[in-house]
Amino acid sequence: MDSDMEISLDRLPIKRLESIEENGAERFPSDVNYDDKRVSLIRRIDFAWALEEEDELKKKKQKKSSKESSEQWQWKGMVENLQLAHQELSVIIDLINTVEANDAVTVAGMTKPKPMPNELLSDLAVSTATKLQSYRHLGKYFKQSAKALEQKVNREARFYGALIRLQRNWKVKRQRVLASNASNEGFTIDLSDSSLYDPTSGFRPSTLSTIRVEHDSAGMLAINLPQDSWYSLRFGFVGLNSIDNPNESAEHIDSTTGQDTTSEKLSVSDEESVKETHSLLREVHKSIFAEQLFDMLNREAFSEGVGFSISGIRENFLEMSIGQGASLFVSLYPSGKNASIKKSESAIVPMESSGGIELVEGDSRVKKLGFPSRASYDIYLQQIFHEHVFGKAKDQTKSKSSQASNQTAKDNNSGLLDHFCLSLAHRIFSTRVVVQLESVVCKVPYLHLISHPTWNSRTSSWTVCMTVPPSIIPQGSSETQSLDGKRNLKTQFRTKVVVKDDCISVEAECTPNVVGLLKSSSCNLFSMNKYECDLADLPVIILQQVTSQIVCWLLEEARTVGTKASRDFLSLSLEIVEGERVSLVAQVNPEDAKGCISWWLVMENGCTEERKGVSESRKLLGHLSLDVLYSVLMDLINLCGSGRNPLDRL
Amino acid sequence: MDPQTQNTSLQRLQNVERRVVRVLDIAGGVMDELASPSGPKKEFVNSHCREFMQSMKDIQVTLREEIKSACEYRPFEKCDYNARIANEICLQKLEYVLTQLDDLKQTADRYPSSS
Repeated sequence: MDSDMEISLDRLPIKRLESIEENGAERFPSDVNYDDKRVSLIRRIDFAWALEEEDELKKKKQKKSSKESSEQWQWKGMVENLQLAHQELSVIIDLINTVEANDAVTVAGMTKPKPMPNELLSDLAVSTATKLQSYRHLGKYFKQSAKALEQKVNREARFYGALIRLQRNWKVKRQRVLASNASNEGFTIDLSDSSLYDPTSGFRPSTLSTIRVEHDSAGMLAINLPQDSWYSLRFGFVGLNSIDNPNESAEHIDSTTGQDTTSEKLSVSDEESVKETHSLLREVHKSIFAEQLFDMLNREAFSEGVGFSISGIRENFLEMSIGQGASLFVSLYPSGKNASIKKSESAIVPMESSGGIELVEGDSRVKKLGFPSRASYDIYLQQIFHEHVFGKAKDQTKSKSSQASNQTAKDNNSGLLDHFCLSLAHRIFSTRVVVQLESVVCKVPYLHLISHPTWNSRTSSWTVCMTVPPSIIPQGSSETQSLDGKRNLKTQFRTKVVVKDDCISVEAECTPNVVGLLKSSSCNLFSMNKYECDLADLPVIILQQVTSQIVCWLLEEARTVGTKASRDFLSLSLEIVEGERVSLVAQVNPEDAKGCISWWLVMENGCTEERKGVSESRKLLGHLSLDVLYSVLMDLINLCGSGRNPLDRL
Repeated sequence: MDPQTQNTSLQRLQNVERRVVRVLDIAGGVMDELASPSGPKKEFVNSHCREFMQSMKDIQVTLREEIKSACEYRPFEKCDYNARIANEICLQKLEYVLTQLDDLKQTADRYPSSS
């Protein structure tokens, strides 16, 4: 440069007034930031001089070159031109760099050179290719998402299909889950029954009653429950081992409720998995009921009851003695695969309360003790509890006012456990009664035992039936008839045995009642009497009753012929001649294995004048069937007419 | 689609889902056709687009109907869990009776039948 370097000085950062208005407000120039300052500096660069100079230089050069061409080196002009061009270019490059780096300065306008046709075509080709590419992308994207959506739809169809099938039987509820946990849409299965829950009785829904519905690895509906989390009720007699039938069903369930994540799940069809889930839900539902039942038993155990007394309480275990030498326990034990199953073939092992099974030693022991079948009483207990709870719920829905709460407060102790224990005790007792009755009836061939259903769990009744041979005496020749004009033809004698709780009562006619003999007339003979007895005496009582009936029958037969006969406890006396009596006397022995009733023929000679008393001679006839007995009687009656010594005849 | 085969709203909704999948497929097909190097075939594109629009219309119609006819969600009024428990108890009774009958049969079989 020929000219001198110019230096510009920044102004001091003292604000200079730009203007003052009339009202005295002062106006300062606005702050210029650094970029703006540079911009203004750049703007101040005046390139006009460069252009002018360039022109001048060019002119000068032309002049000079024409003037001094001979004097100087012939390239010197070119060098100088190039140097000048270089400097100008460097200025422009700096400007461009500044513009590029500086956002504040933008290019105002640019003129494009006119495009050539091949450039146009290539641009078009490029844009078309890009469009095609993006179409292809889009197409691929749509197809992929179609496939993914189809898979998702199928998965969900399985899940929701299973859920709908379960919904037919169980209550399915949903909570909108706010968290973005996609694996759980918040479905639960509610197993509690809110109509049964009465706040005053303190029933709480168990922890099992809400079950979450989840997805398994294949997206199918799955329910994951730990294996030991549900219970079943167990019931048994202390000291007595029995094969537990419910555990067989528990094993069956174990084999089907395995929600393991093994690969065998893949081979299970949707149907089967829904069925398995359904079975699992059934088990849990039953377990909730068992828990409620046990809860109620626990509560009732603390109230006073006639039929039971608690002898042991542990967690999930209740033991009580119910009389009749039996001790009962009720326990909740976890069912599921992890329940330990022990089988021992050794002698009787005392029963543990936590899910062990031992083999039975023999049914004979059960029968001997007279304990009823476990399963039947398990069912009975569940039934009465269920009816009670259900009935209470029904009552509540009918009377929704505060009357219901008063009623439930009174009925809190419903006496179910009491009733149940009494029923059980009665059953044990009546089994023993049956054993005794059977022992009698089996030995005497002309007795039959009939049992009657009573539809009451604490009452049982039987009839001992005896059929006598029909009378051979024709009706017309009877002289004595009973007072009511009808002939007392009996072909069947019945003895009714009724057991209520543990009282035995016997009801029959022709009771061997000593008092009744004092005024014996025919009408009183066949009157019904009812009396009570003990278990130990029962066989003898029955035999005596039956024998007395036989005697009455024989008496009646004898009387219809006109023979003078009388009855004395278990003997029938016929008067042969004056003072001489022949008697048929029965001997009753329940232990006798051949037949419990044996007959003696006793000949009394009462008209002796010696004061030794009545002389007797006896002959044992043995066990006689009724036909034989009847013919003996007929023979005796014939002898009564002829007056001979009957003993000689026999 | 044969309207008589879809007699439950569930099946209709499932059909809608299938249709959506099909619609996406059609869109993908059209895009692919447009991107083909030899240029798109007009009839192909036309027919597919027509099918697309028709399906969309059907989907809309079905969904609108279903939404109108969907009943209000009512919480459970009657609960049959009691009856279910009664059922379970009855099942136990039946099983017990069956074992008793089996025992009876075994006992009866031990004695030869007498005429």
